[in-house]
Amino acid sequence: MLEIKNVVTGYGKVQILNGINLSVSEGQVIALLGGNGTGKSTLLKAISGLLPVWEGSIEFIGEEIQNQKPNVIVKNGLTQVTQGKDMYPAMTVEENLKIGAYTRNDKGEVAEDMKKVFDYFPVLGERRSQLAATLSGGEVQMLVIGRGLMSRPKLMMLDEPSSALAPKVVLEIFNIINRINKIEGITLLLVEQNVRMALLLAEYGYIIRDGVIHLEGKSDDLINDDNVRLAYLGGTVADSDSAIA
Amino acid sequence: MELLLDFVIVGLSIGIVYGLVALGISLIYSGLDIVHFAHGEVYMIGAFIGIAVVKINGIPYFGALVIAMIITGIVGVFIERVFYRRLTRGGGGYTVAGMGMIICGFGMSVALQNVAYLIWGASPHPYPVNFGMPIFMGNIALPKPYLYILITAIILMVVLHTFLTRSKLGLAVRAVAYNKDTSYLMGINVPFMISLIFGVACAMACVAGVLIGPINYVQVEMGYLMLLKAFAAAVVGGFGSLPGALLGGILVGVFETLCAGYLSASHKDIYAFLLLIFVLMIRPTGILGILVKIKA
Repeated sequence: MLEIKNVVTGYGKVQILNGINLSVSEGQVIALLGGNGTGKSTLLKAISGLLPVWEGSIEFIGEEIQNQKPNVIVKNGLTQVTQGKDMYPAMTVEENLKIGAYTRNDKGEVAEDMKKVFDYFPVLGERRSQLAATLSGGEVQMLVIGRGLMSRPKLMMLDEPSSALAPKVVLEIFNIINRINKIEGITLLLVEQNVRMALLLAEYGYIIRDGVIHLEGKSDDLINDDNVRLAYLGGTVADSDSAIA
Repeated sequence: MELLLDFVIVGLSIGIVYGLVALGISLIYSGLDIVHFAHGEVYMIGAFIGIAVVKINGIPYFGALVIAMIITGIVGVFIERVFYRRLTRGGGGYTVAGMGMIICGFGMSVALQNVAYLIWGASPHPYPVNFGMPIFMGNIALPKPYLYILITAIILMVVLHTFLTRSKLGLAVRAVAYNKDTSYLMGINVPFMISLIFGVACAMACVAGVLIGPINYVQVEMGYLMLLKAFAAAVVGGFGSLPGALLGGILVGVFETLCAGYLSASHKDIYAFLLLIFVLMIRPTGILGILVKIKA
């Protein structure tokens, strides 16, 4: 569904990505892992069209999308869910969700999808006419995921949905992300620093380092890989194995 | 007492005109992250375009107002696309590129003034419309243009408010004003929205110009003082806030007219800035001042 081949890009003249290869098939959950400053968000920006791609190609459903405008890419069904802080604080919850459906013109179905979002996140339904600025950190994260759903994506890229949240809330959000993948059939590219959680959810993982894919493999293999354990996990994996059903 | 009422009504009308220009400045500030120093000249050009349209036989004053609005809006979009786009692409606001934008705004102001001078000359132009007798309210004779300003402003405010809060496009305008990258990811065509915002802001300035034309003469240098007073209005109301811009304009207008009436008319232009200083001393963010990041 998404084929990334040898992508090179950066900011201004500073090269950040040095040839990334990555592929996502329909229905999968793929984890993209790595520490701070390794190029995770840069790759997302390049896929979304916010950053020009210098070299290489990005193919989405058989069509090359590198260097297309972001609004065109969203319309084609590739939506990026940014980190929670990127909601619109001066708008209500409902308005935030409406903005998510900006590319769609089918009013009736948009309303239905909004109901669906409120089913996944009941707390958003309770606060639908409240300003987004009044939401808690977890609720804001739910809001941006819901906003992403409103565009009816075929593939949704989630940028660190667990950042700066309490462990309990992280668990809740990952549960819902899992359901979104299973029930809605939306393919997910999950960018995370919370390596353990991401690998529990994903089938396949990529670990990015210094702008290249450093390691890749099935989640089970990665979890049991000694290098990964040492570098990213620490502690045992068994405790949280049963956390996501 | 009647004199006071007269002053207040006149001040209110003049203030709304300041408010309309301030509204444009605030819109551009929140949408493009730049302070537009050529907005006074857009107001002047708008007034001249209004005269040109009014002179065409068979077009009534309010029809001319709408046509002039559209033409000035298109001129604004042209200015933004051709001259400002390259600079704002590098980021506006407090960055170095934003500094370049300020210089560019001053340059545009000089350029527009000289273009207008070439076309229309330096002499003041009267508005070629006849509104007939003033309206009498008791002993007050109120010339009709003042009343038209009030009516037009109310209609315009309702339309703009409905547009921003009820329509999908208006929602997108507010989204772009808050965060351009995020809005791009929502599928909003951000460059188009920026042009739209700039065009609407210029159309607002044009309305101000066409409305004040019948009261004052229209001349090439009228933009300079208007810009300063509109800035005072925008800052008094709270920079970046749209209701604040209008409120600030009204306060400046009424304050100015009252002081000119009761204190000294020859120092008329000082009072706007006196009010500005008072407000900044008491409330540095302006009356409806808001957190920097929650704009529009």
